[in-house]
Amino acid sequence: MRMHAAGIVLVLGCGLSVLIMAVGMGRSLETTRVHYYAEKHMADLAVSLVRAPDRLATGIEDAPGVSAVETRISGYALLDLPHVLEPVAAHLVSLPRQGRPKVNDLALVSGRWPDASRPQDALVNEAFAKAVGLKPGDTLDAIVHGHRQRLVIAGVANSPEFVFVAAPGEMFPQPERFAVIWMGRDALGEAYDMRGAFNDAVIRLAPGADARKAKVAIDAALRAYGASGTQGRDRMMSDRYLSEELNQLGVLASFIPAFFLIVAAFLVNVSMGRVIATERSNIGLLKAFGYSDLAIAWHYAESALIFGALGLAVGIAAGTGYGRFVAGQYSQFYHFPNLQFSTSLSTLALAAAASFAAAGLGAWSAVNRAARLAPAEALAPPQPANFDHGTRSLHGVTEGLDAKTRIILRRITRFPRRAVTTSIGIGLAMSILIVTQSFPAEMTYMLDVHFGLANRQNVTLTFGETHEVGTLHDIAHLPGVIRAEPFRIDGVAFSKDQRRVQEALIGMSPNATLNRLIGRDLSVISPPADGVLLSRSLARKLVALPGDEITVEQTQGRRIRARVRVAGIVDPMIGSSGYMELGALSRLMREPGRISGAYVHLDPAGYQAFTQRLKGTPSLMGASFVSLAERSMRKNFNEHMGLMTAIYSGFAAIMAGGVAFSAARVTLAEQQRDLATLRVLGFTRLEVSYVLIGEIAILSLLSIPLAIPFGTAMAIWMTHLFSTENFAFPYVFNPTGYAFAIGFTLTCVLAAALIVRASVDHLDMVGVLKARD
Amino acid sequence: MPISFSIKGLTKLYGSGTTAVRALSDVTFDIQAGELIMLVGPSGSGKSTLLNILGGLDHATSGEVTFQGQTLTAMNDRALTAYRRKHVGFIFQFYNLIPSLTARENVDLVREIADNPLSAADALALVGLTGRMDHFPAQLSGGEQQRVAVARAIAKRPAILLCDEPTGALDLTTGVQVLDALSEINRLYKSTTLVVTHNADIARMGSRIVKFADGHIRTIETNASPAKPSELVW
Repeated sequence: MRMHAAGIVLVLGCGLSVLIMAVGMGRSLETTRVHYYAEKHMADLAVSLVRAPDRLATGIEDAPGVSAVETRISGYALLDLPHVLEPVAAHLVSLPRQGRPKVNDLALVSGRWPDASRPQDALVNEAFAKAVGLKPGDTLDAIVHGHRQRLVIAGVANSPEFVFVAAPGEMFPQPERFAVIWMGRDALGEAYDMRGAFNDAVIRLAPGADARKAKVAIDAALRAYGASGTQGRDRMMSDRYLSEELNQLGVLASFIPAFFLIVAAFLVNVSMGRVIATERSNIGLLKAFGYSDLAIAWHYAESALIFGALGLAVGIAAGTGYGRFVAGQYSQFYHFPNLQFSTSLSTLALAAAASFAAAGLGAWSAVNRAARLAPAEALAPPQPANFDHGTRSLHGVTEGLDAKTRIILRRITRFPRRAVTTSIGIGLAMSILIVTQSFPAEMTYMLDVHFGLANRQNVTLTFGETHEVGTLHDIAHLPGVIRAEPFRIDGVAFSKDQRRVQEALIGMSPNATLNRLIGRDLSVISPPADGVLLSRSLARKLVALPGDEITVEQTQGRRIRARVRVAGIVDPMIGSSGYMELGALSRLMREPGRISGAYVHLDPAGYQAFTQRLKGTPSLMGASFVSLAERSMRKNFNEHMGLMTAIYSGFAAIMAGGVAFSAARVTLAEQQRDLATLRVLGFTRLEVSYVLIGEIAILSLLSIPLAIPFGTAMAIWMTHLFSTENFAFPYVFNPTGYAFAIGFTLTCVLAAALIVRASVDHLDMVGVLKARD
Repeated sequence: MPISFSIKGLTKLYGSGTTAVRALSDVTFDIQAGELIMLVGPSGSGKSTLLNILGGLDHATSGEVTFQGQTLTAMNDRALTAYRRKHVGFIFQFYNLIPSLTARENVDLVREIADNPLSAADALALVGLTGRMDHFPAQLSGGEQQRVAVARAIAKRPAILLCDEPTGALDLTTGVQVLDALSEINRLYKSTTLVVTHNADIARMGSRIVKFADGHIRTIETNASPAKPSELVW
């Protein structure tokens, strides 16, 4: 009974730990975000533009609902780090001439605020500083707008604007490959030729202000200055990632715990049912002595409450540990000044309610049965089970089998509800493993496709402004370059009817061999000579179908507006852009022959010379090294997924082991007399163990056909739940994962069954001669 | 008649020290093959303990039991299992049928581990249950269940038949049917049969009557004219 109780408490504890972790982490993340945003005046709106005079700031301030505006100069640069071959991309943001930013203030981690009189003073984001080992007082060479500058690190900081930091176009953060640098307004004005002007504004709204009205007014004020359209937080990369993470935690909080709580309720039901069956005569005696039904019910309900309380205690302890661990993981991706896992009273109350509800529901029928048992009935020995019921249908099946196997099959068919629930319990554990195993397979597949089929270039070079296609010729002649293919990318607003979505419109070279658009079926998709291909998520937002006409409008530069036909809808796994043929896009934007960058294939022998040349190339905004990104992503992914897989495998082991142990214990309790009789009759321990374990073995095998479709459906469902705008997780059939899920679950079941089997060695053969059934 | 069991100085203690209970004390006697021996005495007198040791279910504290030249008291668990499997048929007070098997299947259960068993139909016919072969225990009366247990015990043609209060849970009529079956089997197959009973009248069936008290054998009576079961009353 102690082992049985431990099983129940552990299963409850697993479910509650995930619940407490996910709900607690979600709330911790949300609370930290709210406080951080409030403390540092996180922008509600942001707009980037080509160039506007400083006086325009008042035009923004006058917009309805605006409480604070910070105009800035923002741009990209390449950093030349000593001992690092490849140039590193950086996002440069200006600081106000005086005082701290009114919007998107920074949290200084170390060092000092830059001195306005020292143009070389800069702050760097903490993640980058840590990743490359920079500290205040160090220097940093940057190629800003074509000019090499030596910056002095005045301090290290974090910003609510860059809680999640990833280079533009990158899927995943690479702290050592992308920096955010804050510098004085005049220094950046000088560097970008923006004296007396700004190209970026962040805006904070008054409480209760109508963001839509503010956006309209700001857009109107800045329209003539190449503004790209004012965006809310939902379009700010960092906040968007945080919101997606919170959504995923919500999914986790509701999904995994439910499984464990259902199984725990089932285990409580089995355990209490068994206890009450064993204590029938005691119940009868107590009732005969005058104990009320309620007193009896309460006596047994107390056991359920103890299960609930112990499960809660385990859940709180494990959930808190798990939460702290996850908070540690998050702090690698989300850069808050102080992200700590904490459990609120309401989280604990939710966990307590879930725990007692599961234990109570599980105990309900058994407690009810105890309360209703008439004293006379309880004092009489229970009626032996009549195996004529429900087992005759097996007649043909059992005919050729030995008697031991018949015992096993008859028990299964005689108690079908118990058999089904046992199989479902084991099947659920198997399903959790199928899901746990499928996720890494899906990620690996996505990475394989992304890096193996779609992004076959070694480097992506992005220009600050569009260049003549002839630049490609220059790139092709850089040392080490084997092949260079052009691309164009325009930030546009897609609109259809009243719907408007800002996304990238990518112009792809026909017959591209390096960077290609790959569909879900792994086919290479070539954009047609005219018309636009929309990613499914973009088409869904626009409610656009092939053949529809939509409007695209540049959000930067000349704000060219044009109508274009939807040529098709595609399913790339990564990205939610629109795609056109390169020539068609540049014609549409009235810039024929102009490109935004190039994909480059390198000869490894020329790699070093190539990177050296890049560091001196003024017109580059970014250089993304695909192999570095791939290595970083795979490393990150392996570390995190390995741990998560281990945790959930442990949980599944507890679930499978708990269910199997419970089922085997019940079989042993109910069959103890029969098994001892078999031993007396001369059956060996092995033969008797077969009768005991055979039932759970068959139920485990039956759980496989339940778990495979259910686990697969869950895995597919999870891919939908975890898919975001930019990532469409594919379901990938991973036979190894299925084999592991089945093998691991069966091993756990076997281990639990073997623990119970040890009782066969101690069956009371003498007692059974005298014992009444 | 050859000797089936030879019992010498058999002693069984339960517990140790001051709390030790002497269940059997220096019991010595021989049992001939084919005998029908009745072990009688009040509760706790040691008769069931002797039956358990002879059945290979319990170990003696001291003394020796040999069966067909093999020393039972020196056997380990595996050898005792093999001994029960090959030589011993058991009949329990509360029948101990497997509830999930029909009467026929309960008999088949033992046939599967026997070398030269009777058919289930023959074994059940011997106890008069031909018409109830496909019934589950829950569908049989107490007497019928005990007769199935007898059929199960004899199906493997055991050398030894050990019966612990076989009629203890039965009324007179059904008890007589069961004893009839036992008597008939003892006659037909010459199985050495030991019956534990606290009923002095039933003991009249035996060829010898061993009386126990306080773990000792008080008397061993030879019964020159064993009673027929139908003559017994209790």
